[in-house]
Amino acid sequence: MNARPRANGAADVMLDVKNLRAYYVMQYFGTQREVRAVDDISLQVGRNEIYGLAGESSSGKTTFIKTIAAAIRPPLTVIGGSIRYSFLDRDIYKLDRVALSAIRWRYLSYIPQGSMNVLNPVRRVRESFIDFALPHMGLPKQQFFAAIIAHLERLQLTPGVLDAYPHELSGGMRQRIAIALATVCRPDFIIADEPTTALDVVVQKSVLELIREAQREIGSSMIFVTHDMAVHANISDRLGIMYAGRLVEEAPTAEIFRSPKHPYTQHLIASLPRIGDLSAKRALTGAPPSLAEPPSGCRFHPRCPLAMDICRETHPELVSIDPRHRVACHAVSPAVGPDRVFAAAAKQRTGLVQ
Amino acid sequence: MRTYALYLVRRFAQFILVVFIGINIAYLITHLTPVDPVEQAISSVTMFGQSSPEMVEVMRKTLRELYGLEGSAWEQYVSFWRRMATGDFGPSLSAFPTPVSTLIWQALPWTLGLLVSSTLIAWIVGNFLGGLAGYYRKNSLLKALGILAMSLQPIPYYIVAFILLVVFGFLWPVLPISGGAEMNIDRQGFAFAASIVKHSILPALSLVLVGLGAWFIGMRSLVSNIVTEDYVTYAELGGVDRRRILFSYVMRNALSPQLTGLALSLGAIFNGAIITEFVFGYPGMGTLLVRAVNAGDYSLVLGITSVSIIAVASAILVIDIIYPLLDPRVARS
Repeated sequence: MNARPRANGAADVMLDVKNLRAYYVMQYFGTQREVRAVDDISLQVGRNEIYGLAGESSSGKTTFIKTIAAAIRPPLTVIGGSIRYSFLDRDIYKLDRVALSAIRWRYLSYIPQGSMNVLNPVRRVRESFIDFALPHMGLPKQQFFAAIIAHLERLQLTPGVLDAYPHELSGGMRQRIAIALATVCRPDFIIADEPTTALDVVVQKSVLELIREAQREIGSSMIFVTHDMAVHANISDRLGIMYAGRLVEEAPTAEIFRSPKHPYTQHLIASLPRIGDLSAKRALTGAPPSLAEPPSGCRFHPRCPLAMDICRETHPELVSIDPRHRVACHAVSPAVGPDRVFAAAAKQRTGLVQ
Repeated sequence: MRTYALYLVRRFAQFILVVFIGINIAYLITHLTPVDPVEQAISSVTMFGQSSPEMVEVMRKTLRELYGLEGSAWEQYVSFWRRMATGDFGPSLSAFPTPVSTLIWQALPWTLGLLVSSTLIAWIVGNFLGGLAGYYRKNSLLKALGILAMSLQPIPYYIVAFILLVVFGFLWPVLPISGGAEMNIDRQGFAFAASIVKHSILPALSLVLVGLGAWFIGMRSLVSNIVTEDYVTYAELGGVDRRRILFSYVMRNALSPQLTGLALSLGAIFNGAIITEFVFGYPGMGTLLVRAVNAGDYSLVLGITSVSIIAVASAILVIDIIYPLLDPRVARS
């Protein structure tokens, strides 16, 4: 196992992903096919930060977090890039299985979707806590359970849930138990995969508050994935927008909502209902592209209202337009010059950009 | 706990009903048979010489009386249930006047010993190896076992039995091929037990080899489904001990359907044994049943059928009773 305080690079970067590519590689009758679910993604997550990851279904969000959690199994394969956590002295894929399970939960934990099937249906909740947390906490059983009960009470759960089977609990309770399980070892980094998607909005709100509180209290960093922009507005400090396996825009949440730059992000924001806004919401035409045969150039160009010739030929790099804001779009990158492009595209505008 | 008690009561009532209906069907079928045991007995007596028709008529009347066949069909049916309630199946017609229950009690231990042990061995070994093969998909030894199981499983058990007979009785004669134990030894003590075990190896092996293949394949596919369940992925992400995941997460969840299968195959013991017992001349219920059918001894057939109906129903009852302890979701629904 590797020592915890060892920082790597900048002191405040907890997770540093560089040029990560993870493909589903399949062999059919001798021909190899690739699905490029995560293609050249670089991002950093700071200490105490909640980094939100948004994007529609099949944009590669889940593949990305599975990959950074080192929880992939074939056919998903890491093709290139690096994943460095500040609590590890090397890339997470350079660890053997024993070292990997030693850092899990203690340093790196995971909040899954609030579905029926996250907890073993034939084990009491108490046994799940023993399985997940006891080996990482290193406490005698009595103290261990005292710690668990105190933690459950902080998350508004009664100690009685420990003796229940998962099917005896409501969806919201199960989700809170999953949060309790993921935070009880006070991990440095938490990966949350759509933890509120299966819940109704009332429960969703309390669960979000709990996640936020737990994260503040233990001071960990978090990657929070959901397609729901309203949830991101509530919880994320910074937002990354994914489209077809690539990161297309990244900025502090408030800035993304205030001035989205990428046409896809603009559409995403414009589609949110607002109080007092009675205009009809427009759906983006077309469907997300196949990741097995992504479009040439910019992957968004077949659906983009601003598409130009260059968009079909070369794919735009993710460039900083100010220190905290990165965009991958020819229309806004300085090489082409945003003003000229916006003027040219103004005729085709569809009321998308406000 | 109250729900569980209620479940037990309901389940037991169901058991009684199933046994009652089953025995009634068996009664109906055996009494509709065209083979008349009285005529069968008379023809075997008159085969060797002429008897006067009056004598035959007297003989017929006496036999009907002894076999309990006089009275209307309803009276026969009522007296059958009256006797059943005391565990009396009446006299055997082919081995008259030995009671059916005596014959069954002699044969039952052999069948139970052979089949319960071979079914359990096949179930335990098959499920364990199948579970491992489903979890460690890349292990080449387990892959080879899978191919072996898949090629053994479709072979009928009596073919396997004949192959074993040829191999171990003729080509390499190391094991006894017939009977339940040696005839001329003291029916007590270690030597007798060893002889029983030795005689049971071949019939048991023929049943285990085939049964094991089926359990192996079933468990392997169950497990390969369960390893993709969210709770298994989650446990792996949580760094839960790998052996704990295999046993408490994967195999434990695959066990419930396999237990139902075990109950059903324990129930099917009586017909599964018939050919095996016959091939190996094993002194069990299967051999007894074949003899009874050939002799038209329907009270013996009915006795054996009733015992097997009760056995099947009890096996399933027992499994159902322990099921909620394994899968807490069952007791609720």
